[in-house]
Amino acid sequence: MTREKKLKVTIDSRELEVRPNTTILQAARESDVYIPSLCTLEHLPSYGACRLCIVEVDGLRGYPTSCTTPIEEGMVIRTDTTELRSLRQEILKLLLSEHPASCLFCEEHDECKEFQGTIRKVGVTTGCRYCPNDARCELQEITEKVGLTETSYPVYYRGFSVEKYDPFYDRDYNLCILCGRCVRVCNSVRLNGTLSFKQRGKLTTIGPAFDRTHLEAGCEFCGACVSVCPTGALSAKVSKWYGKPDTQVTTTCVYCPVGCRLELQVKNNEVIDVLPNYDSPIDRGLICVKGRFAIPEYVLSPERLGTPSRLTPVGYEVISWDQAIDEAAKRLRGTKPEDKLVMVSPQLSNEDLFVAQQFTREVLGSDAVISSMMIDLGDDLVPFLELVTSSSTFDTIEDARGVLAVGFDSTYGYSPVGIRIKKAGREGALLVTLGACDSNLDMLSETAFQMEPPQWAEFLGSLVDYLARGGKGKVKIRKEWTSDIERISRIFSDSSTNILVIGQEAIFSSGRREIFEKARTLRDKLGWKIIVAHPYTNLLGMLAMGAFPGAKPGEFLKNGDAVTVDLPVIDLAKRKKVVYLIGEGRFDTIPDCDYLIYQNGLPPVASRQPDLILPASLFTESSGTTTNGEGRVLKIEKATEPFMDAKPDWWIFNRIAEKLNKGKLKYKDVAAVQAAIKKQVKGFYGGRKPVEFARINAERATKWLRGAPKQEGQSSGAGNNPSYRGIPLARVVAGMKAIDEWVNTSLLSDKEAQ
Amino acid sequence: MPEPIRTILAKHSREPDELIPVLQDVQKEYGYISAESVRGISKYLRISENTIYGVSSFYAQFRFTEPGRHSVKVCLGTACHVRGGATLLEMLERGLGIHCGETTEDKRFGLDRVACLGCCALSPVVQIDKEIYSRVTVNKLTEQLKEYE
Ligand code: SF4
Ligand code: SF4
Ligand code: FES
Repeated sequence: MTREKKLKVTIDSRELEVRPNTTILQAARESDVYIPSLCTLEHLPSYGACRLCIVEVDGLRGYPTSCTTPIEEGMVIRTDTTELRSLRQEILKLLLSEHPASCLFCEEHDECKEFQGTIRKVGVTTGCRYCPNDARCELQEITEKVGLTETSYPVYYRGFSVEKYDPFYDRDYNLCILCGRCVRVCNSVRLNGTLSFKQRGKLTTIGPAFDRTHLEAGCEFCGACVSVCPTGALSAKVSKWYGKPDTQVTTTCVYCPVGCRLELQVKNNEVIDVLPNYDSPIDRGLICVKGRFAIPEYVLSPERLGTPSRLTPVGYEVISWDQAIDEAAKRLRGTKPEDKLVMVSPQLSNEDLFVAQQFTREVLGSDAVISSMMIDLGDDLVPFLELVTSSSTFDTIEDARGVLAVGFDSTYGYSPVGIRIKKAGREGALLVTLGACDSNLDMLSETAFQMEPPQWAEFLGSLVDYLARGGKGKVKIRKEWTSDIERISRIFSDSSTNILVIGQEAIFSSGRREIFEKARTLRDKLGWKIIVAHPYTNLLGMLAMGAFPGAKPGEFLKNGDAVTVDLPVIDLAKRKKVVYLIGEGRFDTIPDCDYLIYQNGLPPVASRQPDLILPASLFTESSGTTTNGEGRVLKIEKATEPFMDAKPDWWIFNRIAEKLNKGKLKYKDVAAVQAAIKKQVKGFYGGRKPVEFARINAERATKWLRGAPKQEGQSSGAGNNPSYRGIPLARVVAGMKAIDEWVNTSLLSDKEAQ
Repeated sequence: MPEPIRTILAKHSREPDELIPVLQDVQKEYGYISAESVRGISKYLRISENTIYGVSSFYAQFRFTEPGRHSVKVCLGTACHVRGGATLLEMLERGLGIHCGETTEDKRFGLDRVACLGCCALSPVVQIDKEIYSRVTVNKLTEQLKEYE
């Protein structure tokens, strides 16, 4: 890169050198000159709506807005003259004439700010009914900076009714100043397009088409608009009355394998809100509804398990940890290895998974540490893992010239991947979608193919054959597809980088085995990149840590040879003596047993009552790491103390092992676990580069699963139902339930329409 | 997608710049822009339905409800405004139970506002279909409306 030549400019009589290709506002900021501004925001295109950022520039007529005026060599700029100051005050007054403003000019203002942390500063008659007053209001800040202490205009109340019918956030457009930040973030950053300005002049409002609700209009509930709103017009339902958070803790989301970085907002030892981190190279701050809105309600759920308890003939009895550990040890002692089964969730941390496998192997003397995820995949597990471990990084999408997405929709999940795909499409890459109904990528796709999932494999097969032969020779293709396949094949074969994205619907479709095979051909024969958008958060960590039958820690990592997965045959129809579930909440996949130990944060979704309940802490309550879908090892940071008497999973294993007098597990803390991992899994905490996995021999996929419950082809398991530690988010998070119901009804009406 | 929309779209390229011309054609064909049309345009031009609605609601020339059998246009030009046009409009909205830009449920009347009908001397003016009514009062107008079926 050639070094950009700096420009010489004068700002407020100071001679400065600034970067070229920026605006006056940006240049001023970078030189520590303050210019008031409201509508502009980093990451968003400039818009010039609020006009507070006006400046004087020699040779330019009038007062240009600095956020939209490019900086030029030799410019002489004044940012703080008497005229500018009075103009700004006037502009702000006009702006405030439509915004309830009593909190801004109140005489008690200063005292109030310091001593009176009330929710509502002023009477509801002033229109301040829904302002969250959470210290994020930029109007308050600007009014002070611009030095406005009173207003001479009467306030015009627009009298809109507050929109509270959508999940997760409320909208009080009486407080809106029409800065357009939300419209811009929704359209240019999220590439979603739910929001737009409607009407004009005095009647201007913001919202979706035809008075639709946000749910109907295709909103992702990503909350980006809420985060950028400089007023109290948009506010999160759950957190709005909490006021200002005490601290912020940076951590990683464990709801899916993207591994978005999150800023947990903590107050009084509770996670009250979650904000994105725009500096995160993984997700670029483009988090989805789950990370943004579905964490506080889950971790603070009134259903949380807080004390160990055991089932007695008259119900559950609360017991101490000592009693609980005794009880667990008593049941696990003496049973033969084949009578015991340990099941772990792929949403545990690397450290917990490592200790889980060590516990199973060294303490219980068994190799049977499995996961309901393995049962979801059944005999297609090995081909699936083969693809997952060779999945490409998300950044590859940015350079892709062709993207084919099968059964993928990123409305309510995987949005950092979905938005990258949309961006590629908008910047001219060929984007083709294959799905059963409309997907949120269709808007930017060149072609959106709609057909029933059983046909996807065939379609893909035809495309692969056609591509493999370079259009020569005879390929059997259904008549109705021929011209389309020929057309897109031509573009795909001209493109330097192509990516196949396999979405959850494809992973849970009946033809998945074939889809996986075609994907392998695309990757190995035609050099395509593959991204598998599966729901199992720390699946790669599970493999790396060896929390997997027949594979010790580190065996799956790259060190030369391909690995052959030799799965022991597991018979779910055979009754077990003890089943020990860690973070597994679905019981449709577990075998019958005499004694059931349930270690989790929330009660299970099942009729079978566990015999022993061990309350576990959640990812906001204990530290560790998780491995994302690209193989990056990311930090999970403890933000609050565990709920009541809940404990981290590794701690519980430790205690039971102690009781059983099996020496090895003597971890003092997570750091000790990590030290052990470092010894056994070389290079795991290596740094910024993703962990690399060995090639898995997919040809030798054995039939390993017996007696598995019949699955309904399609929507099995975690597929369409995001969950954390086996508990569907929709069960504990009201907004997720609303989304769930909406998705189901719209799917139904789509079907009826067809 | 209904046939006429398909034909209209086929006449335009898939560039976002085509939005306004497409909207104009649709409005000409149907007299209004329906939710279904917006959906069709959205898929074709790859612009979100919400953006299309936003853009088109900016222009007074587009409407989103089926026109009524009779169109009632209240002039809100300066002269008419001063002489009570706004009150007339409000009374009409209440009387017909619809907002400006909408159509009554029985499709009898569609209500709109116009900027100036060019006969300020006769203000306030209301136009019903092709007929211009001058110096209108609420009472006079209520009587007039009865004549339209
Ligand atoms: S939540 Fe996200 S998708 Fe929905 S309106 Fe706001 S920015 Fe747009
Ligand atoms: S995309 Fe995945 S990792 Fe990111 S916020 Fe959503 S669930 Fe969490
Ligand atoms: S910040 Fe420049 S006009 Fe609003």
